[in-house]
Amino acid sequence: MHILRALIRHPSGRIGGAIILLLLIAAICGALGLTPHDPIKAFPPDRLKPPSATYWMGTDLLGRDTASRLMLGIGLSFIVAFASVICATIAGTVIGLFAAWWGRPWDGIFMRTMDVLLAFPAILLALLIISIVGPGPMTSIVAIAIVYTPIFARVVRGPALSLKHREFIDAARTFGSSESYILTRHLLLNLIAPLTVQFTLALAWSLLTEAGLSFLGLGTQPPSPSLGLMLSESRNLMQHAPWLMLFPGLTVMIGVLGFNLTGDALRDILDPRTQERGA
Amino acid sequence: MHWTKSKKILAGAALALALGGTAIGLPVQAAELRMAWSQDATGLDPHKQTAFSSIRLLELIYEPLVQLNADLEVVPAVASSWSFSDDGLTLTFNINPDAKFSDGSSVTSEDVKASFERLLNEDTGAAARSNFLSIASIDTPDPQTAVFHLSQPDAPILVAMATANASIVPAAEIAAGNIGTKTLGSGPFVLDDWQPNSKEVLSPNPYWAGGKTGVDGITISVLPDETAILASLRAGQTDFALINDPLVATLVPSEPNLQLNRAAGLAYNVLQLNPSRAPMDNLKVRQAMSCAVNRQEVLDTALLGEGRVTGPLTMPAFRSDPNTLFCYQQDVEKAKQLMAEAGYPDGFSATVIAATGEPPVASAEAQVLQSQLAAIGIKLDIKLMELNVYVDAWLNADFDMAVALNGGRPDPYPMYNRYFTKDGNLLKVSNYVDDTLDSLMQQGRVETDFEKRKAIFQEFERHLAEVSPWIWLSTSYSYTAQLKTVHGFEPSPLGSLVSLSHVTVDE
Amino acid sequence: MNHVAQRLLTFPLILWGVSLIVFFSIRLIPGDAITAMLGTEAGLLTPDQRASLARYFGIDQPVHVQYLNWLGGLLHGDLGVSVTFGKPVLDVILQHFPLTLELAILSMIIALVVGVPLGVLAATRNERLSDLVVRILAMLGQSTPNFVLGLLIVFVLSVYFGTVPAMGVFTPITEDLGTNLLQLIFPAITLGFAFAASVMRISRSAMLDVLGDDYVRTAHSKGVSYWGVIWKHALPNALIPVVTISGVEFGYLLGGAVIVEQIFALPGLGRLVLDAVTHRDYALVQGTVLFIAFNFLLVNLIIDLLYVALDPRIRLGNR
Repeated sequence: MHILRALIRHPSGRIGGAIILLLLIAAICGALGLTPHDPIKAFPPDRLKPPSATYWMGTDLLGRDTASRLMLGIGLSFIVAFASVICATIAGTVIGLFAAWWGRPWDGIFMRTMDVLLAFPAILLALLIISIVGPGPMTSIVAIAIVYTPIFARVVRGPALSLKHREFIDAARTFGSSESYILTRHLLLNLIAPLTVQFTLALAWSLLTEAGLSFLGLGTQPPSPSLGLMLSESRNLMQHAPWLMLFPGLTVMIGVLGFNLTGDALRDILDPRTQERGA
Repeated sequence: MHWTKSKKILAGAALALALGGTAIGLPVQAAELRMAWSQDATGLDPHKQTAFSSIRLLELIYEPLVQLNADLEVVPAVASSWSFSDDGLTLTFNINPDAKFSDGSSVTSEDVKASFERLLNEDTGAAARSNFLSIASIDTPDPQTAVFHLSQPDAPILVAMATANASIVPAAEIAAGNIGTKTLGSGPFVLDDWQPNSKEVLSPNPYWAGGKTGVDGITISVLPDETAILASLRAGQTDFALINDPLVATLVPSEPNLQLNRAAGLAYNVLQLNPSRAPMDNLKVRQAMSCAVNRQEVLDTALLGEGRVTGPLTMPAFRSDPNTLFCYQQDVEKAKQLMAEAGYPDGFSATVIAATGEPPVASAEAQVLQSQLAAIGIKLDIKLMELNVYVDAWLNADFDMAVALNGGRPDPYPMYNRYFTKDGNLLKVSNYVDDTLDSLMQQGRVETDFEKRKAIFQEFERHLAEVSPWIWLSTSYSYTAQLKTVHGFEPSPLGSLVSLSHVTVDE
Repeated sequence: MNHVAQRLLTFPLILWGVSLIVFFSIRLIPGDAITAMLGTEAGLLTPDQRASLARYFGIDQPVHVQYLNWLGGLLHGDLGVSVTFGKPVLDVILQHFPLTLELAILSMIIALVVGVPLGVLAATRNERLSDLVVRILAMLGQSTPNFVLGLLIVFVLSVYFGTVPAMGVFTPITEDLGTNLLQLIFPAITLGFAFAASVMRISRSAMLDVLGDDYVRTAHSKGVSYWGVIWKHALPNALIPVVTISGVEFGYLLGGAVIVEQIFALPGLGRLVLDAVTHRDYALVQGTVLFIAFNFLLVNLIIDLLYVALDPRIRLGNR
């Protein structure tokens, strides 16, 4: 709650939060079917209509309303983005914590594996995973999660290592707390700040990665729209129907902007250095 | 790379010499054709390559015995004339005495024999081999005559020979094992340089039997994004381009400096059902699907109306009016009734596979079909796959349904024997054959009278549409776009670029 | 230095890990070089024909034998032969690398030339209008998908200016500087936009940090002029995180920019590896990915060294 209040006080936090909230509302309406038109069903007579009172953002090749599809698409893109970043956060945290806690040789094994994944070209890594498993939202989630896991592992391991040797952990140990209790209680509490910041920023990248993968034809499967799929479908129609690229493109931009702003605000609020300085 | 560079410098020096000797004071013709396409050739062995771009490139370099013109008639290439014996078991070719490879040596009957023996050799791995299995032996009585002895009458073999996949290559190069690494053909152009997925450089073959080419060379650039191709054409930086996506093609005519060439193609868009899987094994289910589909709407919506509704036979000489075929007028009531009779009054769920961007309209087509079939309760899940993954699933018949753009042939026999005869190589993909189809195919193969053949194949088509193992949708166009300064290109239904040999470019 | 030695030791280990993943995952994808070459026509092959083509492409042996052979070659500096190019993999990579390298350098130059001054400006005018404008620009830069920007640039250039950068064929810098630059400037802007945005943000916040530090205040109070302080004391320290962030970004760019290369039809490393996957040119995929990983690790090592060299104070904390 304290963080939330601070976020609202922070100017970029306010804007970023408002953007995310707005997009979330649109997405929830889309998911509940509260869209102006059917986002999935083709309606050929009205194809490639420019924006009008009936179709606020025009229609696509199959006569589907862009605005309705966008509402559904935001939801799907957000689900992929959130789910993949959550997976990456959990996997990265577990790996980072164990690497730091267990020390040698596990530290080396875990962290070198992360280095291998980092050194791998990201889009190619995702592409290989998607080609092997077959495309779909689940695969996109897993692929993007694997790409971002190493970043979280690194974020967690550094502070975990330095915390490991601090007195209060030793103190807890001498008081007979069990190892798992120490891990969850003390380490995680101290890691929440860097993880939250990283989490928000990763959401922004993840939105962009999903869009990039869909651009290469490897993302969400039609007819369900994701922002990336809508963009890639609009590609050769740029001249026929510029609105098809404009609105999803703007939405991706605004969404990424929202996450970036929020991430920045959280960093300002939670950054240990600023806190120390303030104290 | 050193190799390419030094060669380029040499060619430049030779050109400078030639110009210095003859062209002083004359206006210099800008006679190089700058061409672009989005997908590059995948290899240089004319007997092995089947990719569209590879064939387009290789048919500029190599020539087969015979070719097909824009009306799909068989015309001379390496062979100047040919004749079947009365029993249809001997096919004799007279080789054009002017036909020469680009090193100046003549094309002889030995080269013809060696080329076909290479094609027929299993170790070559030539996919077209299956079209030539009736060849029993080849005689070479003199350098200008090649005699093919057939094990059975084979009317379509001549058309089957009219492809880059049956190119005549030099016997000496086969012996040296150079086919595929070095190109030496009797076609209008010579390949000077190939950088895969980047560019090809072609120069005229000075020994080409067809005379002098209209341009001094062709540079082909690979521009993977078709909107970029259009941008490049619009900016006058490309003279001539191949276009795959109808969406891009329809934009060309509105550009004042551009011209769109359309040729009605033989390839067909089709929804392949897999009759080895339930419920597609049920004739009534397949027929219901055929009745539920509005082919014109698929064409108008997904392909922007670019093409025409078609039955199984797409070649002008054989095709019939699609409206006479089973359920080519959408009839949802009949479809629902058929579904009820089949025991699926509430429909079913199935997965349809499609390749990403191959053809570019595949995804849109799948979505329109999905929307139409939903009317009779069929719920389709679309799975878009990378082309190669798709090909793998397709070859293993690992799909409920597949959206495909299948290649057409000028003759029905080589086009469908692979799918719908009892020993067809791709029967494992189509998973459907019956006695009627098989026997009509065999009759059509040996019949030499054209009208009778046509009647046989039209019966074949009628039956095929009725048993609906696949749902044929539409043919599409093959497109090329060019600056208006380019003259003399004749679009071909096969997408062939051979007429680039007499194309000229204005300054 | 101990740290550096350790990094150097793990270097081959990481590359080996990369090679393992790429080697086996590329073979797990359905389809092989034969279906890539023949498409659906591959179904017409007899089993014998298929076997002889598999031999031709070197994919007839068990996978672990293929791996050992490949690894053996690798130890002798032999990356194998690309089946699509018919040339040694290393030759193919080195032919495509100059473009990627130049594009990465150009993008970095754009990012630094635009990003650092704007970042410094924004920091010195903290919370004023110009600061706001710069921050909004930076936010936009970081939020625009590069393919949207790339497509937009091609579209606007061709429709409204009747020109596009030369596409398809790359003119090396050694051949014709003008053509080369014209060809690469727009892709470099496309890539440099987001890059500049992060440089801008980092240099702004680093500058703010440094300006708040005691020694800068001290310098100021000792009568050194405002811009003198900025120029002589603040900037060099503020540049440290900029070097780090540019280095990391540069490392990524050296891996090729698949989407931008696709849009501008540039034959760089990104498209090379994508096309190699499409054609199931296993040797080429393996070689290129290894090359990219090697560069990435090398660049990161250099950043670490620079970091140590530039920052004697070695700041601990948020990074």
